[in-house]
This record gives sequence, structure tokens and C-alpha cells, in this order.
Amino acid sequence: MGQEKAAVEAQMILRRRLCNPSFIFSIFSQSPDSNYSKLKYIISSSVTEASNNSVLLLGPRGCGKTAVLDLVLEELVEEHAEMVTVIKLNGLLHSDDNCALKEIARQLCLENQLLFSKMASFDDNSLFLLSMLRECGLAHKTIIFVLDEFDLFAQGKQRLLYSLLDAMQSVTSQAVVVGVSCRLDADQLLEKRVRSRFSHRKLLFLPSSREDLQRVLEHVLLLPTDSRLPQDYTATFNAKLLKLLADDKFKEIIDTLSYSDSTVGHLVRFLFHAVSHMNLNSGGFLSLEIFKAALPSLQRQPKLEGLKDCSILELYILVCMKRLEVKELESINFNSIMKEYKSVHDTFRTSDYYARKVCLRAFEHLIECALISFEDNKGHGQSVEFRPVKLLITWHELYQGLKSYNFCPSILHRLMDREGVSAV
Amino acid sequence: MALDESPSPPLSSVENNFQPFFVLHKASPPRKSAAKTRRRIELSPNAVEDSPEGYNENLRFETFKFLWSRNESTIKEVLKNNNAEVFDKIDKWISESFNSICAYGKLDYISATRPYPHLDKASISTSVASHQIFTALLCTKNMEFVDDILTFVDLGAHLRSRGRYVANLTSLDFTAKNGVGGCLKSLVRQFLMVGIDAPDISILASWYTEQGNTGNPMIVIIDDTERCCGAVLTDFIIMLREWFIKIPIILILGVATTDGLRNNLSSNACSYLSLCEFTLGTPAKRMDAVIEAVLMNKSYSFGIGKQVSVFLRNYFLRHDGTLTFFVRALKIAMVQHVYMEPLSFTLKKLVQEEETEGIGGGSTLGKNLVKRALELPSPMRSCQSRENRNDYAHGLSELKRLRKLWSSMVMCLYEVGKYHKITLLDLYCDMLEPVPCDSRASDHLQLSKDNSISSYNRHLLGCFQNGGWVNRAIQIVRDMPAVELCKLLKSWEMLTSGINEIHDKVMELQSLEIHEENRQKQGMTDISKRSTARNNFSDKMDETKIKAKVATFLECMVRECMQPTESMPSNEIFLFNNVDKLQAALTGDPRRRIQTDLLESQKFLKCSCCSKSSGVLSPSMHDTSIMYSLAQEHGDLINLHEWFHSFKEIVSQPRTQAKQRLRLSPSPKKRKACQQPQNQNESSMQARFCRAITELQIAGLLRMPSKRRPDYVQRVAFGL
Amino acid sequence: MSKEESPQINRRTTRSSYSNTPNSKTTAEDSKTTINQAQSLSINDFVYGDESKTLDELINSFPRRRTQILQLISLLGPLNSPMIPLFIYGGASTGKTSVILQMFKHLNRPFIYCSCVTCYSPRILFESILNQLFLHRKNVSNGYVSAKRCEKPSDFVNLLREALSTFVGSLKGNLGKSSSKKLSSPVNGIMVYLIFDNFELVRDWDKSATMLPFLFNLYDILKMPEVGLIFVSKTSPDTFQSDPGYAEPFPVYFPDYTEDDLRQIFMKNQANPKLYSSFLEYVSQFKRFKLFVYFLFILNRAVLGHFCRTTRRIDELSTAFSPLFKKYCEPLGDLGTVPSGDMKRELFKHLQPFISPCMNETFNVTSQSFCKASAYKDRTKRNSIAKKLGIESSDDFDLHMSTSAKYLLISAFLASRNPATLDASLFDSTGGPDARKRKRKSTEKSKEKKETKEQELLLKGPGTFPLERLLAIFQCIADYSPDGEEMQDGGLLYEDCDTGLMSDILLQLSSLCNANFISKGASCPLEGSIRYRSTVSEDIALKVARSLKFPLSKYLYR
Repeated sequence: MGQEKAAVEAQMILRRRLCNPSFIFSIFSQSPDSNYSKLKYIISSSVTEASNNSVLLLGPRGCGKTAVLDLVLEELVEEHAEMVTVIKLNGLLHSDDNCALKEIARQLCLENQLLFSKMASFDDNSLFLLSMLRECGLAHKTIIFVLDEFDLFAQGKQRLLYSLLDAMQSVTSQAVVVGVSCRLDADQLLEKRVRSRFSHRKLLFLPSSREDLQRVLEHVLLLPTDSRLPQDYTATFNAKLLKLLADDKFKEIIDTLSYSDSTVGHLVRFLFHAVSHMNLNSGGFLSLEIFKAALPSLQRQPKLEGLKDCSILELYILVCMKRLEVKELESINFNSIMKEYKSVHDTFRTSDYYARKVCLRAFEHLIECALISFEDNKGHGQSVEFRPVKLLITWHELYQGLKSYNFCPSILHRLMDREGVSAV
Repeated sequence: MALDESPSPPLSSVENNFQPFFVLHKASPPRKSAAKTRRRIELSPNAVEDSPEGYNENLRFETFKFLWSRNESTIKEVLKNNNAEVFDKIDKWISESFNSICAYGKLDYISATRPYPHLDKASISTSVASHQIFTALLCTKNMEFVDDILTFVDLGAHLRSRGRYVANLTSLDFTAKNGVGGCLKSLVRQFLMVGIDAPDISILASWYTEQGNTGNPMIVIIDDTERCCGAVLTDFIIMLREWFIKIPIILILGVATTDGLRNNLSSNACSYLSLCEFTLGTPAKRMDAVIEAVLMNKSYSFGIGKQVSVFLRNYFLRHDGTLTFFVRALKIAMVQHVYMEPLSFTLKKLVQEEETEGIGGGSTLGKNLVKRALELPSPMRSCQSRENRNDYAHGLSELKRLRKLWSSMVMCLYEVGKYHKITLLDLYCDMLEPVPCDSRASDHLQLSKDNSISSYNRHLLGCFQNGGWVNRAIQIVRDMPAVELCKLLKSWEMLTSGINEIHDKVMELQSLEIHEENRQKQGMTDISKRSTARNNFSDKMDETKIKAKVATFLECMVRECMQPTESMPSNEIFLFNNVDKLQAALTGDPRRRIQTDLLESQKFLKCSCCSKSSGVLSPSMHDTSIMYSLAQEHGDLINLHEWFHSFKEIVSQPRTQAKQRLRLSPSPKKRKACQQPQNQNESSMQARFCRAITELQIAGLLRMPSKRRPDYVQRVAFGL
Repeated sequence: MSKEESPQINRRTTRSSYSNTPNSKTTAEDSKTTINQAQSLSINDFVYGDESKTLDELINSFPRRRTQILQLISLLGPLNSPMIPLFIYGGASTGKTSVILQMFKHLNRPFIYCSCVTCYSPRILFESILNQLFLHRKNVSNGYVSAKRCEKPSDFVNLLREALSTFVGSLKGNLGKSSSKKLSSPVNGIMVYLIFDNFELVRDWDKSATMLPFLFNLYDILKMPEVGLIFVSKTSPDTFQSDPGYAEPFPVYFPDYTEDDLRQIFMKNQANPKLYSSFLEYVSQFKRFKLFVYFLFILNRAVLGHFCRTTRRIDELSTAFSPLFKKYCEPLGDLGTVPSGDMKRELFKHLQPFISPCMNETFNVTSQSFCKASAYKDRTKRNSIAKKLGIESSDDFDLHMSTSAKYLLISAFLASRNPATLDASLFDSTGGPDARKRKRKSTEKSKEKKETKEQELLLKGPGTFPLERLLAIFQCIADYSPDGEEMQDGGLLYEDCDTGLMSDILLQLSSLCNANFISKGASCPLEGSIRYRSTVSEDIALKVARSLKFPLSKYLYR
């Protein structure tokens, strides 16, 4: 029973870690040449020598841009407490300049115990911002603007970016703009006037290598020895885990995982599944089976699943559409499919030939589960059976689906084979 | 002027009373101009007939208002009764389905307003998926929507009177632009009486629970479901289904046909509805009911003659299948009748007398009126001009009696005709025609009428060939099963009550039938089970005998009392029989009217200058009319330059020359004449030209020059 | 269970439980309402008493959902353990929503549910979430308005943060209290779960381009470990791909029921209320219940297999079966009787003919409804009499239209069905098709050319046509005469509509458009160049033509 409790406790710990990216990426804080150190250096230097600066953090999702940034900001804040003010914006929320400025003003007021008026207009807010920048500059305070989803700010007229960067040209002000984006060409989106005012420091966050992943695994999964877990449990757990990490089969699993996507975020999702199933089977310890089981649940093939969910009539419709596609018609709609369906029925005398209404229902099911879709979003005036549709699955996927579908009528297989011959 | 002003107020009221009609046809010009033309038409008869006598107009107006108000009320009544039993069925169905909703269990406030679907009592897992919204399909088997607008309003009122919560939606609430929010908004507005921006359906749930679960569902009536935007309607249905138990909403969808709905909705939305179909009475049925109420049952009041009824019938069948139109036509007919027919004002008095069964109608009529009445052709015919009041009064009462007889007989025939799917409208048209046996009373006007009518009939009432409907009816009666026969007799008894000479005959027939019946009671009873029950010989024998009796009775009845209305004495008082005026009033034709008016404008603006010069273009005429009559010479493409030049030529020639120009062909003299008014400048000319063209375009007679041929305008309207 | 008294009871208990701590009035108030809400989750919904149901009950109540349930439970994890966003997807009526809701009933954890069906726009979505957090119900006292007005995502995030923090705080306080006395509060844990149901609908919102990534990134934006996000969708995650991309949630897949699963489900009708509830009126007594079981047996043996070939959705199947069951019950007078063996066979024989039509019918209007039945009955009676009198009644097309409207409908159908180039050859001056020309045309036209033409006609659907063409065709066919009397008819039709041909036909056209028989494209009315398109199906047009005795098929371009 103590075992049980311990296992649950351990699971809790692991889950907390997995859901806390800043913990996961804290391992990179040691190494001197990591993005962490560079960013730290850039920002802290500009804080200490009271200068303006701007930097872009680029890289695909799940590589810990935001996490590292947060780590850095945390440390900075606790190093020199009242020297820095952090303003966080998110492109998803504040992409339009008006509410972005409003948000800035709100956070500034929050920081400096001023009261914020919702009614303030755009100009009021921008004036307020400028004055605040000047004040902080005089007080040798640094304002750090964090622009998450930077590329979204670069849409539109970029008035916000311009006003920020322009304000930073003056010697009095003292601010750092940190842009975070998953578009590697984010700085190309900037207008000329903005780009000219932008220092082109970029930190690239790349998917991590095998070794890094390995380090992350150890860092995340090894239980702390100084927790209130029973020592022996922790010891056995860690021992098992180390043995597992050393295991080649496990390495394979990780490789297959990182083959599709080797970002840390992906790994974390994988680990989350494994950890959450820790107690279900194989009581309380991480075993190879768990990881094996976790793999397919991440690497899904939704189209094939969709095909499995189809009824036989829907399969018929799909095959008919495929046949029409192979015939290179310029466009397909329900009527032509029905024509094809009827011809198939006439030639092969299939047992299941259903009324038009039923077929229409099946057709709508297919559209609903996104195996097929309308070519265009406009012709709403026209009724469904005339709107052109297109198939969203390849011939191969359909072929696979039919093969894996149990009690699929053999006639469909034959049709597909024939199509395959003519298609390939 | 005064004469033609006074009819206009009732006419305008005519227009206003028929909102639905205008809701449908608002966009179309003809109605407006129809009113205009009508007034013009009435001008002439009034001017002709009334000015000598100088009846006071408002007496006529009184009469008209009186008669029409009665008619209107009866029509409304009839329509209500027509729908009554369908409404009751719907109400019954509603309470049933509401009970089966309640079977899922009532909810308290907290659980009802919860955002996630209600977890069902019936089992552990939620069964939202199984719920189907109870939906009544109200099939108005009618393409036109006008007649049914009132029906749905009535339905709403009816259900409200039963204490339901009702909201009436139309297709305007289901537009793609507003989405679901639109119809939710109007729902909230109708149920809660508050306007809320961005309402969500939980509001309805909490409101319903606040009403304290009185055993009444919320009912949403959608008038014209086919016209709704299908996607929005689908969303609405799915949303309702999510709140199925919390908000017991029952839908009533008005559709023209059942499959119309299927094409509009997506298939899964359809599978969420458990449908139950109700059918309104067909327009033909309604029509018959209206005719029976308005034309049949009132022996004294206003009626329409042969030609008019045929015309209306054709119009109903061919052009505008709406009852609204028919009623409107009746009204117009009545207006015209009242204002044309010299004695029409007596109608009011007569009708009033009909209520208080007092004969001696003419007692209060002025002497000259009676004289005038006796100058009518038909009394001449019937009572040889022995003019005194009693005879006239007698004649009136006689007329009344005859009409009673006639209408009751028609109804009897109609009873027979019901098995034949014949409409009362057809029957009415047919029976107004004199039956050959007593066509002695017919001057050649009558004659001409007759053969025109018969020519109508041959193709109109297909089943009326070979000796008219009567023989057919007799035939039907001959070979009719006994059960039906006694039913028929019962209905006859009902109909002929009050007219003794027929009534007792019917009675005796019925007595025969009765004892016949209880002779073969057991036969009757097992008819219902096995159709081959009735095969014992004796019964058959005297059954046929009875049938023969009935048939002969019918025959002689028709011969005796089917005196054609138009050969009755002084029928002109009642019957309106002037097709052309009515038709002109009904189907005004704006485009044609515009063209004619443009071509002979001088007929209307009776100016001195161009009244004598008929058809000759003179500069004093209005520019637009000049232009248009010039345009007649061109084909469908008009070269602007030529047009302008000819226009200028005409306008710039002096008035005096207008006549001479007719006779002597273009000569140097005229050339010189043309030179002198050159001083009036070119630009003003062009301005007038342009204005005229735009006017023509706005009148829809021209189409402006296209890109390809910049110097040609195209004529849109041709020939009169 | 008496649902009325239970809330009062636990209110009393909560009051007593807080009576000893008068100092923290607000939190007490707050958490009390929290508890209320939680209890309204925990108690009022539990039809089987006020104790939450065990895991086994949960699993048993959902046949063939064991793996999914276990996976979900392990992903939700033990009490107070944070969670990365989940994405539950699977076909319609595979029990996603039910499983999730029941699981939270089992776990007694506070959650916030909003379905994107009910919340049809961002604003309503935001406001309903906030309302639930603020324990605010729209009612007459607050004028049916929501607690906070919020339309922009930015405002929503700020509001949501503070609301969540207060809510979690209250949960913590409540936890601290309930730890002292065990059973007082059924609310477990300090985690709050946000459930977005029918999430696939968000794709159709006009703001979907920004809303989707926003909602998916909500977890990262909030940065609150106490919040768990659960997205429930009908479509797989790859259909949500949007330009900026987002942090992918963890996918959980609900597969459709296979045929065997359906067998099992339909057999154990206790667990499946879908049929059961649809047969409440039938299956109210035990004996009828038995009958119902027999019926299900038959279903499994004979029918289900066929139905599964067309659809595998439980709701559709059950809606398809309910009329079958009624048919099945028809022959035995009162449903109380338990049929014996041969009786059963007879019943099945009675049932058999109805199966295939029912399978081919997606949209059944109840004909058993009394009013319809009565109407139907007397119509049939009339017909029978008519038969006796030797007249057959032809009411195949029972929609009331005036003759000219019918002609107009037909001509519109022709206009949008035939290519405009053929009008001349189809209608010559006298009206009526010229047979020879047609034949020559068809002979000289090569086969596959016709094929392709027909194909693209089929594709394009009904074509559009200007008003002038419609009127021309109408003129041609309206004075067409099948036999003598029709001829006169035509003549007369003009005799009294020559005056108002234009106006009347335009009126007819407008009302046809209103009745959705003809759809109208937008254009400038002054130019008169509006284009129309007929939307009637061919069989309706044929029916109309038959009612006019008009040989439509001769005019159709094939």
C-alpha cells in the first residue's frame, strides 16, 4: 500500500514536471553556449548599461523559446528587482494596435500602481507609453516588451512596432523588445521603416539532438532523492529507469518518435502519456511496454481511422469518386458520383444498391468527417448535390483503408486494384 | 370629379384591407395603376347614369359598406371554421407530445439552466442522441403564400388561447446574414418581451423554468419554412436538440410540400425531427366554403352573374390561384355593381328585411324608384307592366323564393358532386346557365350570352358535356351504394329545411330509405367488414327501386325549381354581370398603359393646342411623348443622332406650321420656316432630349446604350 | 429519488459546516455556492442516489468504451495533478460527450462545459464560460444579461485569469475545510477543467482564423497549472490545421462502433436508452419489455446487418428502427401479450416486407398519426366510391397552382435544363416539337459527345436564364395543345390574359420565386437582366406536366 501511495506520489511529481516547461528547459541553463546564456547576456547587458535593445527568438513550436525567455526574465527580475518592468503581449490577443496599446498601458499601470482607465483612447495610451518610457529611462528602469507570436504583430500597418522601436531611438528611453515567433522569416515581414530601427539579433531555437533529448529524459524522469518519497522506492525507480534509458529498444522508440518530430514538446507529450499510464499496468514503474504503448497514440493516421469509421455505402461512394478522379473529370459532384455508383451497380450487380436519399446522407457523413470537402465555399445558393466536391485522401490511403477494413466487399477491392493499374 | 372622388375612399380601404395581397405583390406596379384605371372606368357609368337622377352618392356608399362588411365578416368566419378542426388536432397532438417530453422528467431551476446536456433518467448514460424534436408539418398545399399568412396568425392565436407559449417566426428570421442569433433574438423578444443583443438559448431555459413548469410547452411556428436559409434552420434545430428536455419546444413548420423541407435541411437535422403531418384544407375547398357562405346562403344579397363567375373561375384556375384575389375581385365587383346598378341601394333594405322576415320590401321605395324598377327588362317580361307597389314587392319576394329554391337545389347537386370531386365553383358557374327546358325567356342578348356560355362550358367543365351536370348527377345517384344514398338524403334534408315543397318530398324519400335501412341493418353492419356482404337479392331489388325514385325526384326537382337566375324577374338588382369592367379593373396592364398614354397624350391633357390635331406631332406636345412616338418609326435599335435630329425638327417648327406640314410635303418654304426659330439654342434642345430619354428609360421603355454600340439605344417594350 | 429535498439537505450541511468559521464569511459564501454548484453536479444529476458511481458502473454503462474510459481517466490523472490539453475526437454519436460528462460525475471534479453549438459566436462562448466561473445564471433578476460583457480575446484572457484564480482559491479553501470533516463536500481537487464540445464548429465561425489558434494556445497563454483543457470534436485534429500553427493537444480517439458492438448495445437495452426512450410508450410494462427484447433479437439476427451497411450511427439506426418496432407490434392487439414461438415467426413474417423500404427511407413522416390517418382514410373511401362509379381520381401532384403558374414552372424547368442554343429547334413558331429536326440532330450527333454534354449538364446542375428567354418559352408551350379542348383553353387563356399577360406572368414569377421553385440571381432590376434558375427536381416537373397533359419529355434535351 505504501508502494501504491508512493507510485501515485511519483506520478504527481512527474506530471507536474511535464506540465511545467520552465523546469524542463532549466537543464539548458547550465551550458554556456546555449540560447539561454546568450539571451541572458543580451538582456542583462542592456539592463545594466541602460541601453535600448531588441532581439528575435525564432524556432518551431515546442523548442522552448517562451520557456527559456521566462527563465531569463525570472532571474533578471530577482537579480535587480525594481530595475526591470516586463510587459507581455501576445500576437493572438493583441494583434490590433489599439488593444495592444491598451494592454501595455494596463500592465504599466499595474506595475507602477497607477490606476488604468478603460476609456483611454489610442492617442492617450500612446502618449502615456512615451511618457512612461521617458520616465523609466530617467529612473534607469528598463522596460522589457515581450511580443509573443511576433509575426502576428507584423501583419497590418505595424504602427505598434514602429512607435515602440521609434521611441527606443531616443537616448533617454531604456527598453528591450523581445519578439518570439515560430516563423523563421519573421524579420522579413517587417516594413522598411520598422526593420531599419530593429537590431537584427536573432536567436534560433532548433529541434534538439538525440543527446539533448536523452539529457531531457533523464532530467525529467529521474525522481528527486530529496522528496518525501520512500527512499527505496525512489532508488528502484531510478535504477529501473536508467536501465531502461540505456536499453537499445527504448532508444529505437525515441528515434522513431523523433523521426517525425524531434522537438522537446513532442517528447513531452509522449512522456506525458507514458507517465499517466504508469500506475495502470506495471505497478508503479516506468517499463518499456508503457513507452511502446504510448508511441502509436501519438502517431495517429486520422484518415485511416476515418475510413475505418465509414459504413460500406460510404466506402462505395469514396471508391466511385476515386474512379471519377482517375478519369480526370474537371469537377465532381454528387450527381456524377451517383451516376458512377449506378454504373458500378449495373456492371457488377452488387448486393447493396440504395436509394438516392440514403446515398445523400452517406455523402453528408463523408463531408462531415472531412474525408471529402466542397471545392469552394461560395455556391450556397445551389443545392448540395450540384456543388463540386474533392477527395481529401490519396489513392494509397484509400487502398490501405479498404485493406484494413474487415468485411469490406471484395468488389471494392477489385475496383481499387483496377484503378491502381490505370492510375499508376 | 366629385362623382369619381367618392368611390375612391372605399377603394383605398379595399386596398388596405388586403395587406397579405400586397405583401406578396408589393413590388409589382400593376395594382397601383389598376386603382387608377378603375376610377377612370367608374367615372363614365356614374356620369352617364346618375347625373340625370342625382341619387345621393352616400346612399350607395352606405349600401356598399353595409353589404361588404357583412360579406367580410362571413368570409372571415368561414375561413376560421375551415381551419378549426385542424387546429384542434394540432392542439391535441401538442399535448400528447408534451406529455411524452415530460416523461423524461421535470427539472428544477439549477439543473435546467445548466450549460451541459441533461443526464437522462432513463439510463446512466446521457441519451441526448436519441431525442427527437416533436415537429408538426403543416402542409398548405398551395404554392401561393398569401392565403396562409392569416392562417398561421390564427393558429398562433388559437394555441395561445389554450395557454401555450407561442412564437411566430418567419423566413426573415432565418437569413444567412444574421445566422442563428437572429432567430434566437426574435424568439427571446417574443417570449420574454425583452430585446437582448447576443442572446443564447439558456435564456429561454431559465425563462421557462421561471414560468413555474405550468404544463404548457413552448411552441415555435415557422410560417414559410421552404424560404428559410437551410443552414441556419439546421443550426437552430441542432441547438434545440441539445436543450431538448430543458426547453420543451415544439415546432410547427408551415410547408407547401413535405419534400420541400427535406431538400432544405441537412440529413442529420432531418433525423432529429419526429415529424407529424397535418394538412390544411385545399384552396379549392376554401373557395367552395366561401362561395357557399357568400353567394349561396344569402338569397337576397349581392350575387355575380354567369359571365363574371366564369371569368373569376378561369382567373382562379389559370392565373392567380389565391383566395385573396377572389375575395378582392368580389369586392371590386360589388363596388362596381353598387355604383352602376340604379336600384342597387335597395339591396341594403332587402337584406335587412331578410333578417326581420318582413315582406313588402318596396313599401318605402320612392315612387319614381318603383317606376324605374318596373322599367327593368326582366319585370317587363314576367309581370306584364301592371305597375303597383304590391306587385313589385310581390315580385321581390317571389324572386327571393326562387333564389332560395335555386341555391338549395345547387347545394343538393353539390352534395352529389362531392363524390365526383366537383367544386362548387364549377357547379355555380354551370347552374347559372338556364337549363334548356325553360329557355323561353331569352331575348337575343340572352341568346348570345347563352351560346358564348356554352362555348365556355364545353371546355371549362369537362364533365358537363352530354346533357349537363344534372343528368350526370342523376346517373351517379342511380348507381350509388345504399349507405352513401341515405347519407346523401340526410344531407339533403338538412339543406332543404325551410323550403317546404322540396323538404317533405325529401322526408318521404328518407322514410322509405329508413325502413329500407333497418330491413337490412345487419347487412349494413357487415358491409363495413366484408364488402361482398350485400348480395341477397330482394334487398337489391327494392334498393334499386328507391334509387330510381330518388333519381326521378332529383330530375323533376331540377326541372321545376332550377329556374335560371338570369331569367328571374328583376335579377339585375342582385346580379352583377359585367365582365369587361371587372376585368379591366382587375388586370390593369401598366406597360401597355404607359405606351398608349404616351402615344395619345392629348386625349388626357385636353389642351386646346393639340386637341384637334389628332396623331400629328406638334411642338406643343410633351417632349417624352414626342420622343416615343418618333421612336415608333425605328426598330429595336434607335440611332441617337437620327432620333435627336427628328426630335429637334419637330420641336423647333413653329406651331402655325403644324397643320400645313400635314398636307404639303417638305418644300423650300418649310425649309425657310425651319431656319427662323434657330435662335432658341442648341443646348436647351439637347437638355430636353436627354431628359426625355431618361424619362423613357425610367418608364422601362428604353435600355441605355451599351459599351459595344455607344450611339444606339435599345427599345425594351414593343407592340400594344 | 426525491430531487426536491436533496439540495436543501446538503445546503443545510454546508451551513452547519461553516457555522464554526464565521470569520471567513466571503470565502465561505463563495465556496458554499461553489459547493452548491459542485453538488448540483454531484447530486442533482445522479439518478441513482447521491453517491457517485464507481469506475465499474461507469465502464459497464458504456459498452465497448472500456479502453477509452481508462485512457481518459489515466490522462486526467490522480487528484490535483496538472494535465496537458486533451483533444477527444471520433464520429458522431460515439459517446464522447456522455463519457466525458459521466467521468466527471464519477470523479466529482469541478468542470466548465460549453458546447459550440449553443455558443454560436466567440462572444457568447466567452460570456458563458465566465458566467459559469462566476456562478452566474441569466434570469429575470439580472435581466437575462451575462455577468461580464466581453467580446475581445484579450479582455477574455484577463477576465478569465482573475475569475479562475478566485475560483481555484475558493476551491482550495473548500478543500482545506473538507479535509477536516471527510464527507461534507463532494467537490474533489483544486483543478478546474474547461470542456469545449462540438469544437469542429469553430472552424465555420467567421473569426475562425484567429479563434482556433487562440483556443488551442489558451493553456500556454494562461500559464495556470490548475486549469485543464479538453476539446471534444467530431473531426480529427488534422482538419484544424491553420496558418500560424499551435501547440498540439494530446489526441484521444473514439472509434465508431463496429457491427458487433452495435449488436451488443442494442441487445442490452438498459445501458442504451436510445431505443428504450424512443419506445417509452410501448415498453412501459415488463411484458411489453419482453416483446421488445424479442424484437431486438430479430433485429440482431436479420435486420441490423443490412442497416449497418448504410450507416453505423446509433441515433440514425434507432430512429430507423422505431417505426419498424411499431410495425412489429401492429398485429398483436394489446402489447401485454407475450408472443409464443410460432406467433413470433408470424410477427417476423409480418415485419419482413417493411424492412427494405425502411432502409431506403431517411426521412419518415409519421403516417400513423391519427389525423393523417383519418384524412387518408376518407380520401381512400372517396376514391373507392369513385372507382365504383368508374372514374379514377388522379391526384398525384397535390400542390395547388394556377395553370399559368404550372406552365411557367415547366418553362423555367426547360429553360434551365436545355441549352439555350436548342430553343429554336425545340420550339418552332407553332409550338410543339418538330420531330424530324430533332431526329436528324440526334443522329448526326456522335455518341460520346452527347455523353460529355450530358455529363457536364449533370455537373452544372440547372443553368440560369434571363427573363426574356423564360417568357419566350412560356409563350411557346402555353398555347401548345394536346387535344381540341386544350386548344380552346389556350385561346381562352389568352383571351382573358392578353390584357394582362405581362403583369400576371410577372406576378406568377414572383410567387414562384417565393415558393423556392425558381431561384433568382441578384442584378439591376432597371436593366431587367436578372438571371433565374429553376430548382425543381425532374420528377416534380414531370408530375406538373402530367397534371397539364403536357408532353414534357418530348421537349427535354437528352
